[in-house]
Amino acid sequence: MMEIAIIISAIAISSGIALLVGGAVGLGEGYVAGKAVEAIGRQPEAENAIRTTMILGQAISESGAIYSLAVVLLMIFTIVLPLLGRFMDLLG
Amino acid sequence: MEPNIVFYIYSFPVSDSLLFTWIIMAVLSIGSYLLTRNLEKVPRGVQHILEVTVEGIEKIVVNDMGQGGKVFVPLIMAIFLFILFSNVIGVVPGAVSPTADLSTTLALALVVWVVGHGAEIYYKGVKSWAKGFFEPYWFLFPINLVGEISQVLSHSFRLYGNIFGGGILLGVLYMVVPYVAPVPLLAWFGVLMGAIQAAVFTMLAIAYIQMHMD
Repeated sequence: MMEIAIIISAIAISSGIALLVGGAVGLGEGYVAGKAVEAIGRQPEAENAIRTTMILGQAISESGAIYSLAVVLLMIFTIVLPLLGRFMDLLG
Repeated sequence: MEPNIVFYIYSFPVSDSLLFTWIIMAVLSIGSYLLTRNLEKVPRGVQHILEVTVEGIEKIVVNDMGQGGKVFVPLIMAIFLFILFSNVIGVVPGAVSPTADLSTTLALALVVWVVGHGAEIYYKGVKSWAKGFFEPYWFLFPINLVGEISQVLSHSFRLYGNIFGGGILLGVLYMVVPYVAPVPLLAWFGVLMGAIQAAVFTMLAIAYIQMHMD
């Protein structure tokens, strides 16, 4: 039971650390949005093109954070969920 | 993560993603047959929407790949419509997005990869394709191989992570606030992000095929 507790707590802590990546991604995407607003202010006719390019670029750079989310979900669904049943039975 | 088997066809297990893939295929095929039965020279009604969609995608593809890119417009349009429909259908309670399953997104990314290499072999010959792995320097061959694998993986994982993660977030939200409040979040995550991810996957597919063609 001790080993299962160690595994589950280690996965919990590392999931928290892995998802800190979202902070940097949010910073980058906010910076890009600011640049897009600046560009629209400088040339309002290009608003459609600027908005489409910004959305496209942000969706691609968001994929960096999505990779860490995918790893966290993989860990939780394949390791923690099967072990949790056994852990709860052992706890009584 | 085990797939949820819904029913069996003569001992072939059908998971819920597979069932909804079939449903979307039926909707797209039957819909496109019914909507294109009486095409007229001067478009009316639904034909407007169809023409706008086809011309939009054709314009984007030809912009990137030149006139030779017209061959790929049906594939790109099929990919785009399939991903768009399957992302949005996840909003319906009780329905499962096929793209929330890594199998579907990996299959789509592999299709794009095979089409890219196949197009390069078909249009430029096997020797030029084989030499392409050793460009720009011969000792970069293993890095080129790893690059191909990571391209397929990132292409599939982006779509899978976005849709599956959105589904998890909405599931957690349903546990906390089951009734009115999830609706704006459903609109954001389900419909808007689903449409954006479909567009991103399609644009990247066009870019990947174009990289093989020049």
